[in-house]
Amino acid sequence: MTARAAFLIAALAAIGLAQNIDYRQDSKWRAPESAAVRGNPLAGREDAVAGGRKLFQRHCVECHGADGTGRKKAANLTLPVVQAQPDGVLHWKITNGNPDRGMPSFSRLPELQRWQIVLYLRTFKQP
Amino acid sequence: MRGASFFWIVVLGGAIGSGAQEAPYFVTYTHHMEEAGNLEVAVSSTAGVPRSSQPWFVAPYVEVEYGITGRWTTELYLEGQARTGDSAIFTGWRLENRFRPFAREHRINSVLYFEYEGINEGSRILKEVVGNASSFEAPNDQLRNEHAHELETKLILSSTVHDWNVAENFIVEKNLSQNEGFEFGYAIGAYRPLARLASGADCRFCGENFTVGAELYGGLGSTESFGFRDTAHYLGPVVSWQIGDSTALHLSPAIGLTHGSSPLLVRFGYSFELRGLGARVSHWLGGR
Repeated sequence: MTARAAFLIAALAAIGLAQNIDYRQDSKWRAPESAAVRGNPLAGREDAVAGGRKLFQRHCVECHGADGTGRKKAANLTLPVVQAQPDGVLHWKITNGNPDRGMPSFSRLPELQRWQIVLYLRTFKQP
Repeated sequence: MRGASFFWIVVLGGAIGSGAQEAPYFVTYTHHMEEAGNLEVAVSSTAGVPRSSQPWFVAPYVEVEYGITGRWTTELYLEGQARTGDSAIFTGWRLENRFRPFAREHRINSVLYFEYEGINEGSRILKEVVGNASSFEAPNDQLRNEHAHELETKLILSSTVHDWNVAENFIVEKNLSQNEGFEFGYAIGAYRPLARLASGADCRFCGENFTVGAELYGGLGSTESFGFRDTAHYLGPVVSWQIGDSTALHLSPAIGLTHGSSPLLVRFGYSFELRGLGARVSHWLGGR
């Protein structure tokens, strides 16, 4: 095995370990139906995605990583189990947080900025 | 020149790290806790213009705030005070703890606050205003020797209403060193961000980096003389500027509303947040 191949394998292994591929949802962290049915008022607003990206980098990257794959115990936002959740659920989770499991509440951000983060989270959806 | 250099160090320093949007209040507390494992260091000052014939004062203080869990924040204060024509003195320390009983967001969110203060009568940071208005005429040499060990509790109520934060604090304080009864006070505040949507631009002066509002706080006497008589009350705007991802500047000029108040208080502060400190320390110590 050449040194270059060994390095490539080590790098891929490091990326794999850095991602939280074993993420399991907290079954107790459930949004109420009234929140789940809410649609994103910014849906289709491509101009709002860049702002969502900025907010994500400011508030979320520390735990979820720049690519959304999740560090520590934080959710891997690219996983189908996350992306399948309606916009209203993600917005509720950002708003309320899950402080006993390390996810802070972001209710201090304006409502529309929280929707902007949801908009940006959708860019992590894998084809 | 030196001042300009300091300003740019502060501003450029904001480009390091990452952080959270700050409430602009100096006295009022909201239900927003420090994130678990994050450490925030703030350097602030309260400058006061007292009544005629009394000296000006400035009372600097350092706050070190740490999120022990998502619902438990602890904070240590070290404070001092200096007056024109008088000395500069160290006025003591405070240790506070805030607990949030309920995890989810509600229409009204509550936080319980407990603080122990080991200060002297020279303290003028005015982090809370309780009881009756106190005179500030004795020299610092005398005030520094009058120690006060105080217990303070607050009930913090806080709501989010259409992007506004509205918070009310009810304060009870007991001086363990003197028989003053229980002293009461209040703080009420409201603020909102200047912009509801975040722009995509990497800018320091975008509206979303500013929060503006107002706060009103004052004393309500004590168990010995409850009410507004001979109490101090202040009202002023509050502004916060999120300079970078981890740093913020805060400013609040407040006017005194009663004869017992200083005519003007000018509060300013600079805060810096270190995110994930707890996890890093745990990692260094061999934890997972």
